[in-house]
Amino acid sequence: MKDQGVIQKKVCMLGGSSVGKTSLVKRFVTGQFSENYHTTIGVKIDQKSQCVDDIELLLVLWDVYGEDDFQKVRASYLQGSAGYLLVVDGTRKETLAVARQLHTLAAQSMGPVPYALLINKHDLSESWQVDSEMYEDLASNACLALPSSAKTGEGVELAFAELASQMLKV
Amino acid sequence: MGVEDPYSEILNIFEALIFQVESATQYHTMSVLPRWYPTSLSSDHSSADPREFVQKSFFLQSFLQEAEEFWQAHDQGKLQSGLWSEQALMGDESYLEATALVQKGQRFLIIQRYQPEMVTIQPVLQKARENHLAHGKELEVRKDVEAHLGSQLAESEQIRDDVMAVLEHLKLATVMIDENSVVTYASPAVFHQFAIDTQSLVGGLWTQVLPLIEEQCSRVQEQMTLPEMGRTSVAVSLQKKQKPWLEIEVEVHDDPRDQRRTILFLKDRTEIEDLRRQLIGHVHFEKLIGKSPGMQDLYQKIQEIAPVDVPVLIQGETGTGKELVAQALHRLSARKGKAFVAVNCAGLTDSILGSQLFGHKRGAFTGAVSDHEGYFEAAEGGILFLDEIGDMPLTTQTTLLRALQEGEVIRLGESRPRKVDVRVLAATHQNLQNLVEKGKFRSDLLYRIRVARLQLPPLRERREDIPLLSEAFLGQARAVTRKFEVREISPEVMQILLQYPWPGNVRELKSTFDFALIHCHGAHIQISDLPPEIGGPPAVLVTPRSSPRGEREEILAALEQVRGKRAQAAKLLGMSRSTFYRRLSDLGISSEECSR
Repeated sequence: MKDQGVIQKKVCMLGGSSVGKTSLVKRFVTGQFSENYHTTIGVKIDQKSQCVDDIELLLVLWDVYGEDDFQKVRASYLQGSAGYLLVVDGTRKETLAVARQLHTLAAQSMGPVPYALLINKHDLSESWQVDSEMYEDLASNACLALPSSAKTGEGVELAFAELASQMLKV
Repeated sequence: MGVEDPYSEILNIFEALIFQVESATQYHTMSVLPRWYPTSLSSDHSSADPREFVQKSFFLQSFLQEAEEFWQAHDQGKLQSGLWSEQALMGDESYLEATALVQKGQRFLIIQRYQPEMVTIQPVLQKARENHLAHGKELEVRKDVEAHLGSQLAESEQIRDDVMAVLEHLKLATVMIDENSVVTYASPAVFHQFAIDTQSLVGGLWTQVLPLIEEQCSRVQEQMTLPEMGRTSVAVSLQKKQKPWLEIEVEVHDDPRDQRRTILFLKDRTEIEDLRRQLIGHVHFEKLIGKSPGMQDLYQKIQEIAPVDVPVLIQGETGTGKELVAQALHRLSARKGKAFVAVNCAGLTDSILGSQLFGHKRGAFTGAVSDHEGYFEAAEGGILFLDEIGDMPLTTQTTLLRALQEGEVIRLGESRPRKVDVRVLAATHQNLQNLVEKGKFRSDLLYRIRVARLQLPPLRERREDIPLLSEAFLGQARAVTRKFEVREISPEVMQILLQYPWPGNVRELKSTFDFALIHCHGAHIQISDLPPEIGGPPAVLVTPRSSPRGEREEILAALEQVRGKRAQAAKLLGMSRSTFYRRLSDLGISSEECSR
């Protein structure tokens, strides 16, 4: 599981269903994007090395199924995380409420760890429903809050890099 | 790694990794290595150590912490990890699930693998989430539609308010009527102009809730039955205590959205009518039409004479409307609720006229089979109009004079006088003074009947009234012939009408329009539609009076054309029957010549 000399950090992807968590991970890990939507069952674990200030970091990405009316996120999946990405669908403002619930659950399960807030699907700007005032509460303590797009890659590398950097500081 | 347990073969069937857990670091494998065991860990199954799988799985390392707590807290039961996939470990996206089991204090860890297609929850969850997303989108679309409709509704209401404001600003009283004659809308101007509560109008029959009398409703109703292009405005005068209160022009329109519905525009013309009266005087007076000074003077005199209960002599050429003047005098007099009896004195013998005027007793003469009441008695309390009094035989004049002087009549064959209360109006086209001088008319009767006098101007002396009269006669002829497409009189025709001498006066003008409408096939009356004596060279037997053949030949030609029917011949010549009979007598045309 562990390679000597490489620091591992568990990172959870949290957000409502269909906000694009799996696509963000795929974009980050493989640089690819697929238009087809496949809902995530359980937890999907990927990993990617990230170099921060000459320190090699292995990010273990826990892509946790999206919370919705059908499935609630299991708190035990979040334990041991060094940080998390909180994802909101910018074309569905109702996903902000789910993000807030998960943010609370994460704080209870992980303690004070860094997180980044991504307002995803920014490529669909004509359907955009949220503005910065609407997620000010979530953004205020985030290490980074920015619009992103798994389709175009906008904000993806930056978010993981900043989160990794912040996790190293903890 | 080999298992002697009798259940081992059964366990092997499940293709699971099964460990007996002694402590946090001590695991004993209870099953054979399953076929799915990742080759990345060991290409040789015989030498593989399954504990390496547990150590290399990020998920299992996390789950074992949760499982340890479970094992310590329970003697029996199980804790499932839920599905997970770990591509870096497995080399594919297959799903795994771990179960922490405790049975009688013994702890076990079981790891199972599922192909994606074996995870039955996958399609169900996928479908549910897709439906959830679709529903969300549907809600969004619905919200958009609702917002759009709301916006359209607001816009429609704004337009309606604007239209209402414009109607209000124009002070245009508008009433909408449905197919059942029920008022469905009345604009605020209806309230302001007529002091009617618009709410009390809505829901009622328009004939009952609008302040119109029956005759006015009938005229509006008549317009409703006509095609829109054939309609004209209906002028009504709303009255209060017998005095005009408001002059209203009612325009009848179809609702463009539903032609079964009607829109009435009630235009207050009171001020305009007042100003017009001040400016040009009366255009219409009773049934008389004309704005010329001669007619204004006539209207004034009628109003002065009507209330004074004295005989009136009405003089004017044939066709100038003497009987209309008599009717106006009747309507404006105190006798308006009583009878109006018109008698033509021309062409009747002394005995017949005497019998008709004064009545007769049964057996008074051959054919007098019963007692007969005369026109004097029939007109009791009202008015007796004696037309063409200049043609009255002298004997009858004497009897008439007595009736006027004594206020009583004696029926033929009787000796007992009967009291009568009758106002006599007489009319003639002749100069009665000349007839007196010729001994054909009694001077004392003349003085008796001309206590008040009215002289009607001939049409050629009031040509400025011709356009006005033409417009009125065009409207009447259009309604009679139902040729609503005929809208106007061409300028050329009007020029001819203005120049023509009109020997038959207004009657001739009216019959000209009756003739023209019959022949007109377009929207405008053309010269070719006019009678030949007016619009062009003569094409019928009747020739202008200026022709050398003279009036006698003209009358005989007309009689021949209509096979001796005198009424039709008179009409053809534009004369009244009385004038025609008088001319027959004057020109010595016998009955034989008439029917030849």
